[in-house]
Amino acid sequence: MSTGKDVATTTQHEVAKPSQSLTVVTPAVDILENDHEILVHAEMPGVLKDDIVIHIDNGKLFVSGERKLVSTGTSAWQEFGDVEFRRTFAIPQTIDVEKVQAHLKDGVLELHLSKSETAKPRQIEIQAN
Amino acid sequence: MWMRRHDFESLFEPMHFFRTRLGHVLDEFDRVYTHGTPWQAAGNYPKTNMVDTGETLEIVAELPGLQKEDLAIKIQGNYLAISGKSSNTVPEGYSIQRSERGEKSFSRSFTLPYEVNSEKATASLKDGLLKLTLPKSEAAKPRQITIN
Repeated sequence: MSTGKDVATTTQHEVAKPSQSLTVVTPAVDILENDHEILVHAEMPGVLKDDIVIHIDNGKLFVSGERKLVSTGTSAWQEFGDVEFRRTFAIPQTIDVEKVQAHLKDGVLELHLSKSETAKPRQIEIQAN
Repeated sequence: MWMRRHDFESLFEPMHFFRTRLGHVLDEFDRVYTHGTPWQAAGNYPKTNMVDTGETLEIVAELPGLQKEDLAIKIQGNYLAISGKSSNTVPEGYSIQRSERGEKSFSRSFTLPYEVNSEKATASLKDGLLKLTLPKSEAAKPRQITIN
């Protein structure tokens, strides 16, 4: 153990934080799969379509949605506020990045990640000689 | 002497490891559990905000994915109850890889600070937020008093 090193060490998590002041929360997700696609449902209540950012880079699917609540009047109690829902997923190489689709419905973000043709299961018939 | 020094260092090694990890752990903890804690008291779902606008009380609740058919809202005087069940059905042909949202059946009740006029109360469900606008009953409304 060298004491010199400890003093200079920057804690990684502080550097990684974005400059924005919004609290980051992890949205609850359901991940479903069938032969053709992987379907992700992420809960983002109160987030508008335009405030959602989705990008795929280097096998990572990044999803971020900012909630901006508008309210007038005096607050009597508050259990939730403006937050950023953020989560990153590792996606398999079998996903066709070009065909990813996203829908936002009732505060739930739906991501359809279709599998590429080569990754779909195929029935192989035995040929009779 | 060398042995003692070595022992001393090895004693601190786990601490050093722990210290650098602790920040990450706490950070993750915050991220995961600000959204909904599994051990949280059952009475705290769904999360709500309440605002007093003078004429009305506005209550907003976080209910992602729910349909209006899934909800029941009852008002009586200054008592409000919201109950429902999230119908989180898996579409046909899909297998579940991960399930965090779950199927929730809930009931939450509130004692409002004022009596409200239940006849004129309105509710809307948009983007996963339930918004209730409850007009205060006549007796509870603010009144301008003119000085004679």
